[in-house]
Amino acid sequence: MRYLTRRLVHSTLLLFAVSIFAFGILQLAPGDFFTPISLNPQISAHTVAALRSQYGLDQSFPIRYEHWLQSVFRGDFGISFAYGTPVAPLLAVRARNTLLLTGTSLLVAWLLAIPFGIWSAAHRGKWADRAGGILTSSLLTVPDLVLFLALLLMAVRTGWFPTGGMTSAGFDDLAIGGKLDDLALHLVLPCLGLVLTTLPPLVRHVRSAMIEVLEAPFVRAARAHGISERRVLLRYALPVAANPLITLFGYSLAAMLSASLLVEMVLSWPGVGPLLVEAILAKDVYVVVGAVMLSSVFLVAGNLVADAVLFATDPRIRMD
Amino acid sequence: MAQSQKLAWSVVVLAAFSCVVLFAGFFVPYDFAAQDRDTAFAPPTGIHFVDAGGSFHFRPFVYGTRDLDQGAASAETYLDKSYPLRWFVRGAPYKIAGIFTSRVHLFGVEKPARIFLMGSDGYGRDQFSRFLYGGQISLLAGLIAAILSVSIGIVAGGIAGYYGGWIDEILMRGGELFLALPWLYLLFAVRAALPLHISQWQVFLLLISVMGLIGWARPARLIRGVVLSAKERNFVLAARGMGASDAYLLRRHVLPQTYAVLLTQITLLVPQYVLAEVTLTFLGLGVGEPMPSWGALLSSLQQYSVLSSYWWMFLPAVLMIPLFVVFYAAADALQELHKSVPL
Amino acid sequence: MNSGPQSNCNPCGPLLRVSGLGKEYVLRRPFSRKKVAVSAFQDVSLAIFPGKTLAVVGESGAGKSSLARCIALLERPTTGGIELAGQNLLTLSEKELSRARRKVQMIFQDSASALNPRLTANEIIAEPLLIQGEGTKSQRRERALQLMEQVGLNRASERKRPLEFSGGQRQRIAIARALALGPQLLILDEALSNLDAANQELILKLLAELQAAQALSFLHISHDLRAVSEFADEVAVMYQGRIVEWRSARDLFASPEHSYTRELLASARSVDSILLERSA
Repeated sequence: MRYLTRRLVHSTLLLFAVSIFAFGILQLAPGDFFTPISLNPQISAHTVAALRSQYGLDQSFPIRYEHWLQSVFRGDFGISFAYGTPVAPLLAVRARNTLLLTGTSLLVAWLLAIPFGIWSAAHRGKWADRAGGILTSSLLTVPDLVLFLALLLMAVRTGWFPTGGMTSAGFDDLAIGGKLDDLALHLVLPCLGLVLTTLPPLVRHVRSAMIEVLEAPFVRAARAHGISERRVLLRYALPVAANPLITLFGYSLAAMLSASLLVEMVLSWPGVGPLLVEAILAKDVYVVVGAVMLSSVFLVAGNLVADAVLFATDPRIRMD
Repeated sequence: MAQSQKLAWSVVVLAAFSCVVLFAGFFVPYDFAAQDRDTAFAPPTGIHFVDAGGSFHFRPFVYGTRDLDQGAASAETYLDKSYPLRWFVRGAPYKIAGIFTSRVHLFGVEKPARIFLMGSDGYGRDQFSRFLYGGQISLLAGLIAAILSVSIGIVAGGIAGYYGGWIDEILMRGGELFLALPWLYLLFAVRAALPLHISQWQVFLLLISVMGLIGWARPARLIRGVVLSAKERNFVLAARGMGASDAYLLRRHVLPQTYAVLLTQITLLVPQYVLAEVTLTFLGLGVGEPMPSWGALLSSLQQYSVLSSYWWMFLPAVLMIPLFVVFYAAADALQELHKSVPL
Repeated sequence: MNSGPQSNCNPCGPLLRVSGLGKEYVLRRPFSRKKVAVSAFQDVSLAIFPGKTLAVVGESGAGKSSLARCIALLERPTTGGIELAGQNLLTLSEKELSRARRKVQMIFQDSASALNPRLTANEIIAEPLLIQGEGTKSQRRERALQLMEQVGLNRASERKRPLEFSGGQRQRIAIARALALGPQLLILDEALSNLDAANQELILKLLAELQAAQALSFLHISHDLRAVSEFADEVAVMYQGRIVEWRSARDLFASPEHSYTRELLASARSVDSILLERSA
């Protein structure tokens, strides 16, 4: 229990550090949201200065950070200059969409990676494993961007899937079943893209973790006792291999969040990604900080969950 | 194929490609910024050896085209006007390595014919020329950023591993901070901090610096591991017993043990960073027009009309794949070789 | 405890004197305040005379290697003092320490790990000269070749790398390297333990020759009593971090005083007799 509290404290401190870091970096930027307007000769410098002051852009870094922290505790995370609304509700909607996409993809990717990895490890060296290996290697070498563009191309050329967005035009008029169908249809391509990019490294890691465990003496002893290969794999080897795999979960989450940003842009999925890019181009500072913090929170939370699962399942950690 | 052979082949291919890209001006017929609205979105030019009359020519040729209203994609081909492909033609001037100027191009055709090996984009610019010139930008960005990351990694990892104690704690915690963020988000956030309207070169340099500065954590961790185990080796102890200073030990005995890891890391990081630059430019956050970074070449694909009608705009993406295959093959071979070399 | 044997021969006094030496390792469990102190050895007092060999024997884990490393100045002892030719080694400045290091060199148990696998034999042997800034490159190379001959290695193999040599040859390289700076004391930390019997014989012979020719002193750490018996002038027995007996070799083997010494000798003899039985 103390271990988990330690991890929790550590994660919170990490998030604080990240927030200072993100906030700090953005303050280094010359110019701000109102710079383009200030270039307009028709708007007086006085007006611009007043606008800046209204949004607190003329104050020093520590003061702004403090105000931002207050806004975090208040729950609104500051104001979006471009939308004129608090950041939090803006992010919340996008975050929900990104979570839907990332969560589904993560689930599918792991559900595929574990059986594939185990199977490859069990049939190591045989042609099936080698074929699988070639497949994962080939998939690995295709850059994410190219893969997503290819999916988009396929959608455009074949018309089997919608070419973007999360819902169709007449979404609100559909019944619940219809709504789910529509959502699922839009989900297929981005999900497929994410799964294809993150699956190969996952399969490889599962496979190598299993292979390492299968070579351990206790597995050989189990086999010598006449225990069936299937039981050996699933009840003896897998639980031990689970430790590195649970740690891997954290990394796979990070990779997937990064990739989701891109897939959302290419396939127009209304998640945090497009919002972030938009905010960057407009120098909508609080939105950018909010989005970066959100992704960090996802990541840290994911790692915490992994740590907790590890703690619960691996007795070695508890002994520390 | 043996690992060392695989490595050798990969290096040869990469070197050859780099040479071509370095002398891009020579190998391509047009300047990367040369526009011609009349030939916007032209499909790849057909190269023929047999003319309409059925006779064979040794020198390949292209046909002249006449633009119809809908643009070059539906241009009509003049079958009676053939323009032979010429070698070593004089064309637009270009600079080699920014110093020497030349006007000689490997191949070309006389005006008004055009030779678009990979078609042209919405401004009538030759995609093939832009692809090779773009290689200069994207590959160079990837290479320099990778070297930067690894350099920081070696210093940080070396110090942390060798001296241990509180400096190790600080450096590794700092690295954890960088690893805690999804790297693309971090890259974007830092990019957001940079002014949006500055000169091309400044953007390029800033981009490289940012990418390099972000990615130091993983190489640093790996190098720290190697240094930790290397400094306990008996031969290091023996050298210390002869009166060697820390600097000597690091330079002569400890750091050379990290070369294998360094090389593998660089080989893995270069394609990642190339991709990062391409992605940033694709989304409009990288080097801007008219610099032909590969990301810029692909960015028009975000428009529906382009995707559905102009298939050749996809070619740069397809051509990037073999390049990455070679990079990963080299990295794989290096890892396998490094495993069998006794530490 | 035990004072040294009645040594009759020395006008200059001991080359190396160790008094009350002790070493403790302090371990801190990660994330906890508790510190655990583990004592490697305590209250060790020994003396080695010029041109003589002192063997320190005992089972693994008795603290012998730790002692060797402290004397070789590779680690700092927690308590006690070390004097080399009258000079207190623990209070020296950096520069003086560097000069003192020339007088004491160590040969490790595992020759493969003691030699940098990426360097050639010549580079390895010449390295002490390089570190101490002696001579030009060609002078160093020539000296290394001389040393190679001295230890019985073929000059022609100077460009080979450590892994191309056999175990016995690698130890010769290590010895040559140790001799480069003209030391007065060589510490052999289980230097023969990884070698087969034939090689052990050969190396022991080489060491004996070197000792006679250069009046070298040896501190021979070993768990193998038999290997030590032919070669040592004095023997110190170490048990659980303390010296329990320290006498001349002849006296120790003839009439051991401490019970542990007797056990050690007995087990060595019984191994001998088992081997004898087998070969009969």
